[in-house]
Amino acid sequence: MSSLQPLYDVKERLEYAAIAGTGLLAEDFRLRRAAEAMKPLAAASPVFGKISAGLDKLLEAPAEARAGLLLDALALVDAVAYTQGRSGMEGALAPLPTSGGGYIEISRSQLQPLLNALTTTGGGRMEIIQSAWEEHPEFFTDFRVLPAVAAGLGDSYGEIAELSAKILKSLGNVVTPVLKKDFDPAGKKEMARRVEVLAAVEGPNATEWLRETLRDAEKDVRTAVLLALGEDQANAGMLLELVKTERGRNRDAVLESLAKLDGEEIRKFWSTELRTHSESVKFLRDTNTDWAAELVAAGLWARVEKMLSSGVVPAKERDGFVVWCSAIGKKDSPAMLQFWRWADSHMEGIDRLKTEDGKPVFAGVRLTDTLREIMQKTGPGPLRDYCLTQFDRWPEMTRYLRTSFQAALLSLPAADVYEKYSPYLLTEAPSPDKALKMRGETLNNVLLRALGDVYWHHNRRCHVLVFGQATAEPLDPRWVERMLHAVCKPDLGHYCPFAGAEEVDGFDKTLVELVNPTDPEQRAWLIPYLRRRMAETGSWNSYSRYLLMMGGSPSGVLGKAMAKRPGRHYAYYIWQLLSEASKILPGEETAQLLEEIDIGLCVRKPEQELAKKAIPCTIQLLRAGRPFPEWNDWWEMR
Amino acid sequence: MPLTEQSVLLLAPNPAAAENGRKLSRKGSFSAHHKTSDGTLYWAECAGSGKTPYRVSADFTSPEAPVCRCSCPSRQFPCKHALGLLFEMLDGKPFETAEIPQDIAGKRARQAARTARKESAPSGPKKPNAAAQKKKLDKQLAGLDMAEKMVSELLVAGVGTLAGSSAQSYDKLAKDLGSSYLTGLQTAFSRIALAVRTVQKNPDQTQAAYSEALRALIALHSTIRKARVFLRQKLEEGSRSAEDTVLFEALGGVWKLEELQSIGAFRENAGLVQLSFDVTYDEAKKEFCERGWWLDISSGQIGQTLNLRPAKALKYVKGDDSRFGLLETPMLYTYPGEGNRRIRWDSASTRPIEPREQAALPALAQPDLAAAVKLTKGQIKNTLLPKYMAVMVPIGQVGTVGDAFVLEDPKGGRIVLRDRREDGADHASTARLAMLPEPIPVGSALFGLMFYDEADRTICLHPYSVVTPWRIIRLQY
Repeated sequence: MSSLQPLYDVKERLEYAAIAGTGLLAEDFRLRRAAEAMKPLAAASPVFGKISAGLDKLLEAPAEARAGLLLDALALVDAVAYTQGRSGMEGALAPLPTSGGGYIEISRSQLQPLLNALTTTGGGRMEIIQSAWEEHPEFFTDFRVLPAVAAGLGDSYGEIAELSAKILKSLGNVVTPVLKKDFDPAGKKEMARRVEVLAAVEGPNATEWLRETLRDAEKDVRTAVLLALGEDQANAGMLLELVKTERGRNRDAVLESLAKLDGEEIRKFWSTELRTHSESVKFLRDTNTDWAAELVAAGLWARVEKMLSSGVVPAKERDGFVVWCSAIGKKDSPAMLQFWRWADSHMEGIDRLKTEDGKPVFAGVRLTDTLREIMQKTGPGPLRDYCLTQFDRWPEMTRYLRTSFQAALLSLPAADVYEKYSPYLLTEAPSPDKALKMRGETLNNVLLRALGDVYWHHNRRCHVLVFGQATAEPLDPRWVERMLHAVCKPDLGHYCPFAGAEEVDGFDKTLVELVNPTDPEQRAWLIPYLRRRMAETGSWNSYSRYLLMMGGSPSGVLGKAMAKRPGRHYAYYIWQLLSEASKILPGEETAQLLEEIDIGLCVRKPEQELAKKAIPCTIQLLRAGRPFPEWNDWWEMR
Repeated sequence: MPLTEQSVLLLAPNPAAAENGRKLSRKGSFSAHHKTSDGTLYWAECAGSGKTPYRVSADFTSPEAPVCRCSCPSRQFPCKHALGLLFEMLDGKPFETAEIPQDIAGKRARQAARTARKESAPSGPKKPNAAAQKKKLDKQLAGLDMAEKMVSELLVAGVGTLAGSSAQSYDKLAKDLGSSYLTGLQTAFSRIALAVRTVQKNPDQTQAAYSEALRALIALHSTIRKARVFLRQKLEEGSRSAEDTVLFEALGGVWKLEELQSIGAFRENAGLVQLSFDVTYDEAKKEFCERGWWLDISSGQIGQTLNLRPAKALKYVKGDDSRFGLLETPMLYTYPGEGNRRIRWDSASTRPIEPREQAALPALAQPDLAAAVKLTKGQIKNTLLPKYMAVMVPIGQVGTVGDAFVLEDPKGGRIVLRDRREDGADHASTARLAMLPEPIPVGSALFGLMFYDEADRTICLHPYSVVTPWRIIRLQY
């Protein structure tokens, strides 16, 4: 017991007395006992004597004087306790670690919201982090921010966790000490993401730590570690052992890792694995090594041959075939090319394959689509060259037109592509001969679908195919003109390109997206067509927006189009369109557009009162040279 | 003062305004960029929601306090358009040289005339109205009696009763103190009540809450007693002026710069470096307190700036922020008191701190831990002063003993480094010592708040910043 214990006892009793009330002081025998215990100390030092005297005075004081005396005594006891406060600590001093982060002079107004966004919950945080990352990526290297970003990996809002991972990965190995600090191998998703980031920033250097961590890793973390081990070829032996012992998703993780590695042992393993577990081929999807391409090509070849030999495809076989097709990924090696050549030469048979219940397997269509996708995703090379001539070699296979046409767009001058393929887009009625008519219409439809995969990229200012490859040259403008004269329009689906669930025909969407809006000639061709279609379909919102995009105006058609679907139009969408129009068109023209709207006929009944006030008022404002009102202003006019 | 992102943020009324200004600049809302040939005026047009763009300008006639003007109707000053213009300048957008617009020239002339009138006007505090002052002193003395009665009644019933139904009537009584010009005491009562109510809400914090309430009660009791002597003396002497004592503020007095000047509480040509900045919310006063800790580079004294922003008027009171570099002020005002005194200035400029100036900063620390502990004990035992002291102590080494962070000074003295519980999670910074970007170099010092921890009856240090010979590493803001 400390020699000052009587002082602390007195302090404690005085505090209790203040909380319980001085009215009970006379009966507080514990305080009296503590005061008695102070007496020996009082003899030793004047200040303790003063405390002791104060306590005596307090205990003898009448009720009305006790409050002041109690506080005096407590103040004195406090002061003595403070002066007796110890400082320091015995023991060997271990040096502090360092984080590897940096220090940036960040003001509180910038740092505090960022730390809050990374470490708390609630809405609006994503925007703060995103905007700080765009404006000041250097902030994220600060030693105060780094641990918060690491904590962000465990954010309950998945997008923040993903963004935190992305940020940490881009900062490089400066984040390693922070991620390793307080790492819990038995932790949850946050720890698993730490492993993922560490593996990304450290690459093969993470191997030793990963191997150590694996010993105690559980659940999500174990899966993440197993996945990360695939980043280093040196782990091949270890993974080949682990694949024998791990189960379930952890075995899948090992397989995913093994798919990233290379070498004879790995090839042997996969060869055996695919024989025993055919479905494991899905892990080879993103592997583009020669051995992987050979295994997938050979496996697929054998499967198709087997299907062809039996003629009837059981459901299990069909599902397996689908998995093997998807495992092709982007493989474009000679082995794959050889497979495509063989498949094309057997395509008629493949197309005839049926399931046990007599339904078509569509194996040929799947293979053709897969080949086209690889061509769309990969650059120039033998595979694209093969695609370029595929239709020429097998003109009876009408669906090959789509592949060859797109390969031509990626490889040949725009005019040559137009010359060669435009005849397939019918601008006159096809031959009355039934077979010729059918072939003509089929090729027309295939070509239109192929054109549906092409669009004008506004930022890159060029035509691109799905998956982003730019065409060799901007599309020949004659395609637009020819499409405007198309006589055979297949059902290319219906789309809702803008808010309001208003449908647009797939053909029109394809056409608008093909147009190069920087070319006044193409715009001029399109505008009358869009106005006509707007009047025909009644889709006033979508076609008006298309018209505005092309530098036109829905003036004169808007009212008629709206009237085609009376009483169904929302005031908000009217406001939204006209507000957008006011930014492009002169005020008077916007006012005239508003005048076209027959409010009583077109606007939904519950919003008619609003529209009856807001639309005339807006017309007046526009004519007075004032800006288009905000939606709130409209809403308040109800 | 060079225009930097930090200086723009400091000019902004709040961070949101700065962010909105930045967005305007980023999305290209500005056009017709112009500046005068002497570079003292920049102006441009900014597209707003209306048809006519806003005309916005930044006048650098006085570079340390640029005047922003805008034709928008915003009541925020500077508005987001003006801040956006400053971001345009920061981004190095091209400004074409042109003649100063007529309207701004007129405004400049009127501003100059106003400044001249202000300078020629007699300075110093206004002569107080003696009768009114006497009446106020009488009322304050009567208020002190009432406060004493309240303290007494509270102790008779027990502080614990504040958590019960008597709390509301107690609040009402405390409010009456405000009308006796004793707002300081009113706040003290509110603080006690709040601490006791914490016990109800968070029973796990009972001990800390009661301890806080009792310390506040002791301070209140002491203030009442000392204030009665002080006010009676003033009444008898017929003294009406502000006095160099902490009691003035403890009772709720608010100092004006001219009053501080009149009692000689100022110093000319001071250089200050901010060591740390933080914001706390005072529930009792319902206001945000933005506090900057400053080191006077000539005296080594540590003072504090307090920018108080009532929650109700938050958007009308300009916020303060972290400041970097060396701040030079022609006149530094110091509030009465002891320890870390409150400081203020009317005008100041900031420049980057030079390497030799930075290298000299750690030497301004206390000679050793023992001296700092002595100073702290001297302060915290004074019932009217805060229960902590901001100090800078020299570092021999910083490390850990078990889980505890420990600082050892060059003489071998040690102190435990620990977060002060009362400051809340937002101020947690001790653990950041284990994440510093580099080992602490020799010859560094640690700045922080030294305090007495009731839990284990030790004097501890809550670290705020590491002051190295090359830079100040802020553990907080």
